[in-house]
Amino acid sequence: MTVFLLHIYDRNGNSLYEKEWCRRKKSNLTKEEEKKLMFGMLHSIKSFVSKLSPKDSKEGFLSYTTSQYKLHFYESPTRLKFVVMTDINVGNIRETLKKIYSSIYVAYIARNPMCDLAEPINCKLFESRLETFMKGLSFFEDSKE
Amino acid sequence: MEISKRSRITILDKPLSRGKQEVSLSAFSLLFSEMIQYSQNRVKSVAELQTKLSDFGYSVGSRLVDLLFVREKGGKREIKVLNILLFVKVNLWKALFGKEADKLEQASDDEKIYYIIEKEPIISTFICVPKDKGSLNCAAFAAGIVEAVLNSSNFPAKVSSHWHKGTTLMIKFDESVITRDKSLT
Amino acid sequence: MSKQPGRGLESRKLVGELFTLTYGALVSQLIKDYDNDDEINKQLDKMGYNIGIRLVEDFMARSNVDKCQDFRETAEVLSKMAFKMYLNISPTIANWSPANDEFSFILDNNPLVEFVELPDDHPDLNYSNILCGAIRGALEMLQLEVETWFSKDVLKGDNITELRVKYIKRLTDALPAGED
Repeated sequence: MTVFLLHIYDRNGNSLYEKEWCRRKKSNLTKEEEKKLMFGMLHSIKSFVSKLSPKDSKEGFLSYTTSQYKLHFYESPTRLKFVVMTDINVGNIRETLKKIYSSIYVAYIARNPMCDLAEPINCKLFESRLETFMKGLSFFEDSKE
Repeated sequence: MEISKRSRITILDKPLSRGKQEVSLSAFSLLFSEMIQYSQNRVKSVAELQTKLSDFGYSVGSRLVDLLFVREKGGKREIKVLNILLFVKVNLWKALFGKEADKLEQASDDEKIYYIIEKEPIISTFICVPKDKGSLNCAAFAAGIVEAVLNSSNFPAKVSSHWHKGTTLMIKFDESVITRDKSLT
Repeated sequence: MSKQPGRGLESRKLVGELFTLTYGALVSQLIKDYDNDDEINKQLDKMGYNIGIRLVEDFMARSNVDKCQDFRETAEVLSKMAFKMYLNISPTIANWSPANDEFSFILDNNPLVEFVELPDDHPDLNYSNILCGAIRGALEMLQLEVETWFSKDVLKGDNITELRVKYIKRLTDALPAGED
């Protein structure tokens, strides 16, 4: 199993953080475009999915799967958006995404007064913690190539 | 207006704080960081910012010192250098941070200089200073507090903060303090 | 320099007096820097707002609170959980407006004012105004726009300290740029 990428967006759709692991085939878009389109897509899926829902639900959109990858989505109560792309064999990793929010983002960014919340994340401690956390996941597999 | 003013319960009508109430460290950290941000917009250099922090500490220390002597020492002041240092290490630190300071040391080559060492200062727990402010040491705040306590107890001294074995506060007493201390023995 | 917050550190407590006196030092600095009370109140509110938008993340990560069903529940969560968690007090909720869109926190034991007496030349200073900003900032991050102000203050000779909270509206997500 593999994790391809992680994105974090703020409530206005600005990208706060992105990290890729062994994502061999890139889209032919610029980074900026890709992020913008991804956020737009997530926004649309999220609102449409909840409109379609036969019952009111708290969670709403959790993930989608294609033949090649699975995209997991978590929105914090404060509307920060966490996106992780994995291969399709990974199950429900909602708790993992919540953990990235509560134990890593909140601990190293929100509580760190020197980090500006509106700016892309630039904090070594956050990055190294996140890296350790991701690599420790049972479904994380670093490509050796 | 006049009437309401007169009927106001003044601070003297209330019992002195016992220092038992606690607040969350996160709340304090964020307040402290707002203080840094606010000061930062009003200074030009890291050194100036550090002085500002130390001034804030001084203001806290000079308000705390009487309260502490009344509450912890029954109103008696310390007159010996060693005792005032222990007062800082034990009583002051407990009142501020809920624990004693990790270490108190004397400089080997200068009898005016003492060090208070704190491995993990609670104040900067959540603060990760960005590279462009590399030399900023938030312990300047604690240094200000200690300086105020020493000065208002009639032990004139300069206190500065340094990175060494964690955070080290260097206390440099005025010559007169040491001379006086010797005459007391 | 980078300290690594160990487990449980975020829930650590700190002696209230350090907090009270540090806040006091900050207010006295503002009094030196600004000419009038309105400006000081505004500055305190702004600082509170900055604190609130961070504190709410901390709160959500620690408390597992679900979306509040109504404004009454919001008031309860603020008093029993948020105030309790951060300032170790639980203000009484009182004076609901008939439309249920406005209420008060009665602060009996405000740790910010432990040693405070307002100087006579600052009659309009809302000493604890930072609390107003913090509540406003935190709720805004949860898409709830409110107005907050001190309607009574023992420091000004009132018999109680009353912080008023008024519901304005629910905020909706801004659409990403380039979408309609």
